Amino acid sequence: MRPFGADASFLAGAAGAFVPELTLRVADTLARLRQARDVTVGCSAKRAVWSFGKTTLYEYLPLREAARDAPQRSAARPLLICFALVNRPYVLDLQPDRSLVRRLLDAGLSVYLIDWGDPDDADRCLDLEDYVERHLGGCVRHILVSRGTSSLDLLGVCQGGVLSLCYTALHRREVANLVTLTTPVDFHTPDNLLSKWVRELDTELLRQSGNVPGEALNGLFLALMPFRLTQQKYVRLLAGNSDQRALEDFVRMERWIFDSPPQAAVALAEFVRWFYQENRLIRGTLRIGGKRVDLAAIVQPVLNLYALGDHIVPPGASAAMERCLGSRDYTGCGIDTGHIGMYASRKGADEIPSRIISWLRERP
Amino acid sequence: MQNPFMSAAFKPDLAFTGAAERFFELLKSFSLPGAGAAGAAGAAPDWSAIAGSLAGQFEQWLKSSQSAGPWFTAASAPGSGAGFGAAASSFGPLPLGAGAAPQQDAQRSWDLVARLAQLQAQLASYWGEIAHDAAQRFVTRMGAAAGGAPTLDGALKLYELWVNCAEESYAATVRKEEFCRLQAQLANASAALLVEQRRHAETLVRAFGLPSRNEVDALYAQLKELRTQLAELTEARSAKPPQPDRATAGRGAGKRPASAPARDRRSRRARKPRA
Repeated sequence: MRPFGADASFLAGAAGAFVPELTLRVADTLARLRQARDVTVGCSAKRAVWSFGKTTLYEYLPLREAARDAPQRSAARPLLICFALVNRPYVLDLQPDRSLVRRLLDAGLSVYLIDWGDPDDADRCLDLEDYVERHLGGCVRHILVSRGTSSLDLLGVCQGGVLSLCYTALHRREVANLVTLTTPVDFHTPDNLLSKWVRELDTELLRQSGNVPGEALNGLFLALMPFRLTQQKYVRLLAGNSDQRALEDFVRMERWIFDSPPQAAVALAEFVRWFYQENRLIRGTLRIGGKRVDLAAIVQPVLNLYALGDHIVPPGASAAMERCLGSRDYTGCGIDTGHIGMYASRKGADEIPSRIISWLRERP
Repeated sequence: MQNPFMSAAFKPDLAFTGAAERFFELLKSFSLPGAGAAGAAGAAPDWSAIAGSLAGQFEQWLKSSQSAGPWFTAASAPGSGAGFGAAASSFGPLPLGAGAAPQQDAQRSWDLVARLAQLQAQLASYWGEIAHDAAQRFVTRMGAAAGGAPTLDGALKLYELWVNCAEESYAATVRKEEFCRLQAQLANASAALLVEQRRHAETLVRAFGLPSRNEVDALYAQLKELRTQLAELTEARSAKPPQPDRATAGRGAGKRPASAPARDRRSRRARKPRA
């Protein structure tokens, strides 16, 4: 062991010297957290345009500033955002200065978003085929028909990116450009802790035991890095440089992190088994609705953005996409942030929309 | 003590309070009398006392916060905030009289409860390992931490170091194959117990002439199939312009078939957005 040296005196006086200051900061932060507890989330106007089961398709209304280009917008190819089943999509439109949706609207894009809703016991038998073919597929078909166009751009996020890859492989004519964010393809990279943990789960029991509450999945995600995610991030609020606005940003993220929908039992069991356990997507053995999901069938342009510090979808799990696709126009890009930082950090809020917008503009 | 995994809900003020309390506890460990007195006198500090105290606190936190494992919440009531003991006591035969579940079924449930407790005990041995390793890492790296006058910023830096050590130790252990297998076994045992309980419930509701879960699922499956067919028909209709009916094409060219308005009404209902 190394000696303390000068730190011994630090330790000796630690309890006494700054405790009054620390106590004040704790009280102040706590009071401000309570003030911020009722922050609102979601900032852009949208309207429901289609629904199926618990799934609702929203169309975002153009921003006032972008409305001047309305004729151009209505002619533009629509962009459909497909979020993960395990979280709420409003993180993409959390607040005006951290909203991927708002940036896309501001660029004149016509944006649609799928909200999978809250599956209840009536939905416990929903399977991945339902989600891909009927829910996601229904949204795609509704947009194509209502907009009178033959294809759209698809933006899949995390697990929603996996569903988007499946859909694109099965219905390639309907997707012109595919953008994926933090989307795993190889579920067996050595650094994938989540994959290691679920490798020996009995998915038949999972299927039989009913829908999985959102709290259980939250617990699972927190357990990946428990000290950082349940302790350190709160203690860091004591560092003294967080103004009320920063604290409100923090609370908005907290609200989103802990607001997870339940998971339909059968779909979750299939996802765990087919992707995490058997790695079917990258092995080319995945079948949905009797049809083989062949990533090599994806020949349209693909932009794949992943986080270099992602503890849920390790960068290697996503970067593996490049060698599986049939597309000759693949752009992969690792962003120096974490999983959630991709959607909600300052860096993510600046860099991700810019990359998506410029990439899409180059592929009209 | 706060239990973050079992109450994974939006309570930022409570979560902050819990984390701040833990921070204070750690500060107390950092300034243990043994270490403080020794440091002040210029003699060697009592490293084992510091490491022991840190490890003890840490192990206690791990046990309370995660010993039930993230898995176990799947089998307990959401938001119950209960630890393993409380959750385990909710298992077993349904509380509808001693003879509610046949003896053999009840025995299966108790066997599963015992299995869970056994796995839980095995898992607990890992918390001790993680806590001890984290404390050792921390004490080893302390010499490199910021020294000088005691300040809050200095304490926060020390805390960051502690968290790094804790995460490293945790990651090293929870990636081991045997740990992963144990976690999965725990989850499987929890799910098996839940399924077993539901099986008891199925027997009971049948005895009372009530619809069982399986029957309701079968009805949902039929409903799902019908809705799917309806959606496909609706999509097919809206994708193609109305065609004149062959039978009537010669007599009233271009007229919509008599059944069309009714189908149109159905299709609008099916597409009505959820409120």
